[in-house]
Amino acid sequence: MGRHRGFDEQAVTAAAAALFAGRAYDGVSVDDLVQHLGVHRNSLYKTFGSKRGLYLAALLWHLEHQLPPLAEQLAAGAEVVDNRALDLLLLAAVERAPADVEVAALVAKAWQTLDQALQRAPAAPAGGPRATALSVLLGERLRARAAVASAATTDPA
Amino acid sequence: MTRVSIDGDNLVVEIEGMDKLWSLKSRLAIPLANVRGATADPGIAAEPKGLRAPGTSLPGVITAGTFHQDGERVFWNIHDGARAIVITLADEHYVRLVVEVADPAATVALIEQAISRRPR
Repeated sequence: MGRHRGFDEQAVTAAAAALFAGRAYDGVSVDDLVQHLGVHRNSLYKTFGSKRGLYLAALLWHLEHQLPPLAEQLAAGAEVVDNRALDLLLLAAVERAPADVEVAALVAKAWQTLDQALQRAPAAPAGGPRATALSVLLGERLRARAAVASAATTDPA
Repeated sequence: MTRVSIDGDNLVVEIEGMDKLWSLKSRLAIPLANVRGATADPGIAAEPKGLRAPGTSLPGVITAGTFHQDGERVFWNIHDGARAIVITLADEHYVRLVVEVADPAATVALIEQAISRRPR
């Protein structure tokens, strides 16, 4: 099997991560991927094997490239509730993790990284067990996403 | 239409009814170890299929048989393609199977579960 892909695999994987962070897994068709990633259908299949293969590659890319800076911000005590880097993980946790053990393992690894970052944060959240801080953060991000959507629909009224 | 099932360590693809005649195939058995993945892909029906040999092609009506494109061998068995799935293979006669099944989501889940249960 030739190594030459004819496209930048990292860039395509990053673009896929962005796409999957904004839309449900089942809402992203192969047509959408071909159109947004600018890669031929046959090349996508040859390189990633399936939509799931591309999704796993995108999630791995996210854990390697987007999670570490987010963890650093958390450890430094920064406010990250407006950070979209949590979105792919939230969607993965809700949609794919219950049905896919490999996704579940990656999501668990991400939570662990974030938990550890929160433990290093200067203003450790008052009281509660360590895991509570992450749960609060995820809940807040979920509400922030919904608030953006509801503001957009109620504004014109 | 095509029926996809798991039999032990094999993925079994059975061509049903008259499609057997159009595709000149009735059954493919592929070791799960050589199955890379499966994807529901209704949009693939609109893609160029390459050179047919041997098989049958009436665009929009039936695409069945072996097709050659970019040095790759692909097996097709679809009618309008609305319920097409793409199964990618490694170290097999075909690099991909593009077949129409009754329930694409369930078939894709069946294949993914079968291959992710296997030790890597």
